[in-house]
Amino acid sequence: MPKSSTEKSQNLIWGLFSSVRLTIVLLIILAITSILGTIIPQQDDAISLAKQLNPGLFRLFQSLDLFDMYHSIWFRLLIGFLALNLVICSIDRFPNALRRFRAVPKPDRSKPFEHLPSEQAFLTEASLKEASATVARFLRSRYKNLHHKETQETSYFLGEKGRFSHFGVYLVHLSVLIILIGALLGSFFGFEAYVNILEGERIDAVALRKGGGPLKLGFEVACDKFTVDFYENGAPREYRSELRFFIEGKEAEKADLLVNHPFQFKGITFYQSSYGTVPGNKVSLRIAGPGLGPKGETMGVEADKPYDLPGGEGQFSVRDIRGDIMDLGPAILISVQPSDGKETHFWVFQNWEIVKKRLPPPMAKSTKFNPSAFKPYTFFLDGVKTKYYTGLQVNKDPGVPMVWLGCFAMVLGFLMTFFMSHRKTWVQVSEKRDEIKISVAGTANKDQVGLKRHLERLTNDLRNRLDERGK
Amino acid sequence: MLSSTILGYITFAYFASFILYLLMMVMGRDFLGRLATYVTFAGLTIQTFAIILRWVESYRLGIGHAPLSNLYESLIFFAWTIIFLYMIIELRTKTRTLGAFVTPLAFLALAYASFSPGMETHIQPLIPALKSNWLIAHVITCFFGYAAFGLSLALSIMYLIKRLENDQSKSIFLKLIPRPGILDELNYQMVIIGFLMLALGIITGAVWAHSAWGSYWTWDPKETWSLITWLVYASVIHSRMVRGWKGKKISILCIIGFCCVLFTYFGVNYLAGLHSYAK
Ligand code: HEM
Repeated sequence: MPKSSTEKSQNLIWGLFSSVRLTIVLLIILAITSILGTIIPQQDDAISLAKQLNPGLFRLFQSLDLFDMYHSIWFRLLIGFLALNLVICSIDRFPNALRRFRAVPKPDRSKPFEHLPSEQAFLTEASLKEASATVARFLRSRYKNLHHKETQETSYFLGEKGRFSHFGVYLVHLSVLIILIGALLGSFFGFEAYVNILEGERIDAVALRKGGGPLKLGFEVACDKFTVDFYENGAPREYRSELRFFIEGKEAEKADLLVNHPFQFKGITFYQSSYGTVPGNKVSLRIAGPGLGPKGETMGVEADKPYDLPGGEGQFSVRDIRGDIMDLGPAILISVQPSDGKETHFWVFQNWEIVKKRLPPPMAKSTKFNPSAFKPYTFFLDGVKTKYYTGLQVNKDPGVPMVWLGCFAMVLGFLMTFFMSHRKTWVQVSEKRDEIKISVAGTANKDQVGLKRHLERLTNDLRNRLDERGK
Repeated sequence: MLSSTILGYITFAYFASFILYLLMMVMGRDFLGRLATYVTFAGLTIQTFAIILRWVESYRLGIGHAPLSNLYESLIFFAWTIIFLYMIIELRTKTRTLGAFVTPLAFLALAYASFSPGMETHIQPLIPALKSNWLIAHVITCFFGYAAFGLSLALSIMYLIKRLENDQSKSIFLKLIPRPGILDELNYQMVIIGFLMLALGIITGAVWAHSAWGSYWTWDPKETWSLITWLVYASVIHSRMVRGWKGKKISILCIIGFCCVLFTYFGVNYLAGLHSYAK
């Protein structure tokens, strides 16, 4: 019969996934496989190792996804099994916990009082009625949940605390699931990207980390200013980007971005992550020539603006500014337009004396690289004003609140599981042979040492209360 | 720096307590044990002051920050948490034998911090990424976790040694070690404290990483190793609470767990990653 065979296989699967042995095995397998990923370089770092491996091994690693194992199918499957294990175990066992939680307590049980240590009982001179009333008043102040039963010669009390501790474990396990769901949300609906913004510029798109073209943000971000500030020993003290956010061209918000102080705009979070410099559009230029003094004349020059030559022979302008050309350092392209004659172009290097020696001889002699190409002047580049760009990490992760919620639930669950116990405390006030005896007993699902201390203290408190009665 | 000089001397104090606890167990003399407690307590007190002094010194240098920012400072704090937890346990359980197994850990941590060549003992300014209160919470919780696991290691070793005792053995050393049942119970409590603290450490670390780098989890080797450690101790807890394992098996698992702790702490520096301690 097909039905029974599917039932049987269902039971087999259920049996497997409801076993805590599987949990332990999975936890250990996850621990061991995770080690692999810390030894084998992952993702971008993997290339250096990949080059050293022989092709067979490389193919093996590749097919097992060992170069990006935390995102591989088999690793996710392991985590999936763990989650399934967790769910099935909980379904399997939760009813038991619920039963323990709901168990109707009986105030008149006698079993807890077997082998009662002598510290947990005493005699009092009060009458049964008086003693019962005092004990009841005292216990009521201690326990919200006090059960009471009365017979001819005995009053029974039962106080309970920490019933909810039965659920601690389930909260912890639920929290693991919540965290996993949060992580999944992030990987499906979030992204990780980056962008560099030049001081004074605006961007409206960012580049995804895993490739695949620019991503439009739907708004614009401008960096007004970037500052970096150093300690005396040269270590960085603070990076700060002054950002402005625009929606449809209108300024919507302003924020200073610092490391450890990300800023969120429209569900997208910006993090200060790096910085760099690019040449700006201003240079400091020196022109030497007849009548210009021994050092020449220094002037600040902006790109693409015409300036008069010192002797009025015409005009010149800076056409291009490069932070680095052919590893030879900063250089600018100068164009001279004499009032009569042909326009000339030539590059002026900042480190010309050094560059001259390093250029191949034909190039060194070419007018294209000669700072004295326009007679009678020689141009010198004293410096290029650089501009900062700020490097931002741009992320969206809608799973984050879920993950934090899971973390919170986990800690709460821990505390419930390990530091709370379900304690039941029985107190009997009984009359035997004209004596009133008060005895205290209890049970707890854990921390027996703490229970004993609690019972002894309670006995003492009761004795003191009865001694004080009427005073 | 005055604080580093003092901390150097405390290494010897903890070495002295180790020798005293050991002598107490070999010779069975009570007064040696009491002396050991005094020396350890004095060491802890002075170390506490030295750590506070280091904090003050960093403010005097104008780069004030909690002394928890590099390998040196973390080792100092590790030694402190171990001795601190141990003192509490000694007070509560009134047994001193654990001291002979725990003080070496603190001594070794301090010796490594103070006397290993190339250790940066100066107070360094904090780079921007490390300026975060979450990071302080992260370091404190992690190291309390590590310390609790260190005590669990000591208890596990004691447990395995205690098993060598039989009816014929006359060793005072073995006799003085508490009953296996007590060791097992105490060990389990340490595992729970360590597990909770490590979980808090991982969580606070994730919160910090999220605010500093933009993602709460990147499978960086240090993160991964702390997760591995956590998984190992999670299996210890499950084997014990659900499958009822006790004693020897748990002790061995705890020793493996502590090896993971050590690797998370030191070994990872030989792998690449974000965590810049020791770089
Ligand atoms: C990471 C994934 C985890 C899985 C797959 C898992 C699975 C399980 C399973 C199947 C059980 C037995 C079922 C039960 O008694 O309800 C169990 C019990 C338990 N788990 Fe977990 N668990 C995980 C994480 C944790 C964590 C992080 C803690 C930390 C507190 C924890 C603490 C416990 C405790 C204390 C028990 C014993 C419950 C009892 O005695 O009734 N578990 N776990």
